[in-house]
Amino acid sequence: MQEIDARGLACPAPVLKTKTILQEDNPTSVSVVVDNAASQQNVQRFLESQGFQIVLEQDGADYVIIGTSDSAHSAQLQPVPTLSTGAKRIMVLCSTDRIGFGDDALGLKLMVNFLRTLREMHDELWRLVFVNNGVKLTIDGSEVLEDLKNYEKEGHRILVCGTCLDHFSLLERKQVGETTNMLDIVTAMQVADKVITI
Amino acid sequence: MALCGLKFPIDENVIIGLDLADDAGVYKISDDLALIQTVDFLTPIVDDPYWFGQIAAANALSDVYAMGGTPKTAMNLVAFPAREMDLIILRQIIQGGIDKLKEAGVVLIGGHSIEDREIKYGLSVTGVIHPARLLVKKNLRPGDRLVLTKPLGTGIINTAIKAAMASTELTDKVTRLMAELNREAAGITADFDISACTDVTGFGLLGHLAEMVCGSGTGVRIESGQVPVIAEALEFAAVGLIPAGAYKNKEFREQMIAFAETVPRALQDVLFDPQTSGGLLISVNKIHAAALVAALKEAGIDDAAQIGEIIDTPGEKIWVT
Repeated sequence: MQEIDARGLACPAPVLKTKTILQEDNPTSVSVVVDNAASQQNVQRFLESQGFQIVLEQDGADYVIIGTSDSAHSAQLQPVPTLSTGAKRIMVLCSTDRIGFGDDALGLKLMVNFLRTLREMHDELWRLVFVNNGVKLTIDGSEVLEDLKNYEKEGHRILVCGTCLDHFSLLERKQVGETTNMLDIVTAMQVADKVITI
Repeated sequence: MALCGLKFPIDENVIIGLDLADDAGVYKISDDLALIQTVDFLTPIVDDPYWFGQIAAANALSDVYAMGGTPKTAMNLVAFPAREMDLIILRQIIQGGIDKLKEAGVVLIGGHSIEDREIKYGLSVTGVIHPARLLVKKNLRPGDRLVLTKPLGTGIINTAIKAAMASTELTDKVTRLMAELNREAAGITADFDISACTDVTGFGLLGHLAEMVCGSGTGVRIESGQVPVIAEALEFAAVGLIPAGAYKNKEFREQMIAFAETVPRALQDVLFDPQTSGGLLISVNKIHAAALVAALKEAGIDDAAQIGEIIDTPGEKIWVT
């Protein structure tokens, strides 16, 4: 069991400390000690969101949160409870600017058509995320730029990988969406009801 | 608690004093004029000093708007580590405050500053109102609908910002939201049949609602799915990025509140989330509720929504469904 001493830390530091250790060591069981009730509840929420079963204990003035998971925590991600609006949250991850292999011109045409037809998902289209070559669809000159801008106007969130833009030296040329990072992308995947990868 | 048992001097012109604990104190000058006085100050909640100044000013002005009044004058309250920090930062904070006052049509006529290890900034604000037009907290009327004018979640998002987990876009969005004056919302509200009004700040939505319910002889039903919420706040709440104040708010009022099992825990947390410069919470005649929300939206207050109703039930309880 991995032990984490987060006493003397104020919110959100105990959660961050726990998160770092989960990311680095991927333990199947952890025991986190905190010295205030708010931190206890926050660490409990965090561990539960990562698929851990929780047992709470009191040790004098300290609070102990013991979390156990059947397997490595990353395999046990659970969706975040959402407002009961009825709409599903579908996340579409585009890791390329064309669909399939073979004829590139056809691949690009299919991708343009795909992105335009996504409209049929209506409110269920929750996040549209562009990584790797996909970021090229969000820059000036992209055939779908106007379509993407319209999606954004209608309240669908568009996330564009900052590392990828930087890699292609396209940071200045991005015309739509919010620049994002891997943590945002992973969190969105965790929250989504469905992730579709192209 | 520190005030328990202390006796405060009053006279017959005090319309609202500490005993009523409303949003601000009210003192009658004549039959058609009363002063509204309030003071509020904050430690920095955003990194940008200019925006912090704006938020602190919007937050201080809000109590006057929540009483139905018109703010007129303000005085600065400043604590600043002048030996360790560049005075340019203080200048930017105060500039933010001045610009927000200007927007509100309020003049700055003085202030006081002290040397302190941590920055604090706020204002004391004085406003005016006709005593008959006062909007008090504790006057809920059964059958009324409740309207909220700003989305909840600023406390949780500020915690996520501290944890470096909020995007720049989200940080900007929340900063602007907190700096938004409640002036327009209050002006529009004044045209409708309102029984009670307050602003949502440190006690969170349910904490401030509990203050309204206590002693009113009524109950409240909140339709949690209708409450405007910054979407990311639910995500951050579910992973434990919740300020300690939210738990204190919950603990303090828990016995008054009943949640339906269908209300997700993250949403429950958001309903207790302490807000900085939050929106107005208005109890309006149900016949006018839809028109009030429509008028607010027309003025660009897009998040305004009906979130529940006042029910004629003994026990002064809040039901969240």
